[in-house]
Amino acid sequence: MTRRRPGRDDAPDRLYTLTGGRSRSGSDAFDLVTLVVSECEPAPGMQSEHVTILRMCTRPTAVVEIAASLGLPVSIVRIMLSDLLDTGRISARHPRTARVADRLPDPDILEQVLVGLRNL
Amino acid sequence: MSPSSRPTALALLISLAVTGSLCLWAVVAAPDSVRTTLAWGAGAAAVLLSAAVAAAVHARATANRLRARLAAETQRFTGEISRLVSASAAEGQRFTAETARIKAAAEAETARIASQAAADAERLTADVERLGARAARSDTERSAAVAACANAAGRMQALATSMLADLRDMEHRHAAEDVLGDLLHLDHRTAQAGRLADSIAVLTGARSGRRWAKPIVMESILRGAMGRISGYQRVRLHSTSDVAVAGHAAEGVMHALAELLDNAANFSPPTAEVHVYVEEVPAGIVLTVEDSGLVMSDVQLRRAERAVSATNQDLTGLSGTRLGLAVVGRLARKHGLNVSFRPSARGGTGALMMLPQELLTRTPVPVRASAPQPASESRPEPEPTHETAATTAAEAVPAFSDSPASETTGNLPRFGESGLPKRPRGRTLAAAEARTNTNGATETPRPRTADPKEQAARFSSFRQAVRANSPHPEEGNTR
Repeated sequence: MTRRRPGRDDAPDRLYTLTGGRSRSGSDAFDLVTLVVSECEPAPGMQSEHVTILRMCTRPTAVVEIAASLGLPVSIVRIMLSDLLDTGRISARHPRTARVADRLPDPDILEQVLVGLRNL
Repeated sequence: MSPSSRPTALALLISLAVTGSLCLWAVVAAPDSVRTTLAWGAGAAAVLLSAAVAAAVHARATANRLRARLAAETQRFTGEISRLVSASAAEGQRFTAETARIKAAAEAETARIASQAAADAERLTADVERLGARAARSDTERSAAVAACANAAGRMQALATSMLADLRDMEHRHAAEDVLGDLLHLDHRTAQAGRLADSIAVLTGARSGRRWAKPIVMESILRGAMGRISGYQRVRLHSTSDVAVAGHAAEGVMHALAELLDNAANFSPPTAEVHVYVEEVPAGIVLTVEDSGLVMSDVQLRRAERAVSATNQDLTGLSGTRLGLAVVGRLARKHGLNVSFRPSARGGTGALMMLPQELLTRTPVPVRASAPQPASESRPEPEPTHETAATTAAEAVPAFSDSPASETTGNLPRFGESGLPKRPRGRTLAAAEARTNTNGATETPRPRTADPKEQAARFSSFRQAVRANSPHPEEGNTR
């Protein structure tokens, strides 16, 4: 989620216009860590958030990540994702076990981070 | 026998008697030898003499008669003349008297009129002064009222803007769907209230509400306009344009479009859709709002055109309930928009609004809502301003996710291109790196390096970026 300055909006479009006024998705296919994969290329004339989602999700991407990238609340993103799911443009699956231990950053990077943070 | 010939006849008789007796005597006295001759001669002479005497007497009588007549005529003539002279004198006197009377009357009338005119002038002067004072007071009252309205509208705008920002914050904070639904509802209501405040501000000539610091892409313009009307769920957007509207005009364009949308939605059946089309033309962009509601008659179309025309800008024609078109007219004049109406092919009315080329930018606009560019596309150098840095980073987010970094998804923290866990300040990092490392070159998402040294070097720039001497002190200190 992008940071906003307090008391200021930086985007003129309101959240309800993104979802056509809906505030609930009506499906529980998505939770925060559901992985989303796009099934087709974005078509011209699509809502730009849908285009962004389809572009992002060429590789499996978690819902929470999509929300963070779009800078939108997760609930809103869930509504848009269920729209896409209903039209078959994406597919969703739950993550399996975390097989990602080998992808953690190197310990010396973390150490450098620690040193850097202390120096701040 | 006329009386004038009587003396003549008498003279003729006397002379005949005298000469006859003389002739008779002469004849008796004369010898017989000459008696006959003498009788003839004396007779002739006597006749001639008598005739001469008669003629002389007649001539004298006639002369006397003529002389007497002349005298009489002369006397009559003199009398006539004297009568005429006296009559003309009397006439002249009468005329003089009449003239004097009329002159006096005229003078009196003139004086009366002059005094009346003076009185009138005085009265009119008083009236003028009174009316002038009243006009001045009305003018003062009007400008005071307008200023008060403008001020109140400005404060309402500010309130609405900050409420919208607060609501957006809350919408991000509360994930529960019930709460979110309520917040969205409030958000919508607040946006409509803000539009009303904007309208009043525009009509009262107040400073326009918001100024966006960056160009706003067309999709956001359309959605921003749509979000400000009550029937936004009936609005269908058809736009493939990636043109952006310059920040200074974006608010006005959105507001004008919102008013047109509101008109279209209000004057069509509650279930009918309102369609918005975006068309790029050489002169700029044409936004078409089409409804399938009532068809406006020619008179109504002309009235609407007049309401939005750039020449008609006073508030006299303003009715209490129909502010929309007047607002559109004001905004059109301010930003050089061209608004017209025509019957729509959908059966209702179509409103066309043309944005001139000066309001548009075609550079890739770094905003969140824009379609993400391909990751390899060159991106403009981030300028060292608050807005641009923030938006660059905001845009950078989807671009990074296209990079191989997106392998590390799942429940791991996300990584920025520097290989560090992503967090809000990473934005500054992105800006700083774009400035220091790429130095104006194309900023392509680099494949994540596995070299810890290089990653550590990148991290040092991260530290520089948040130091107080960085070009973004306000960025570093905000949190």
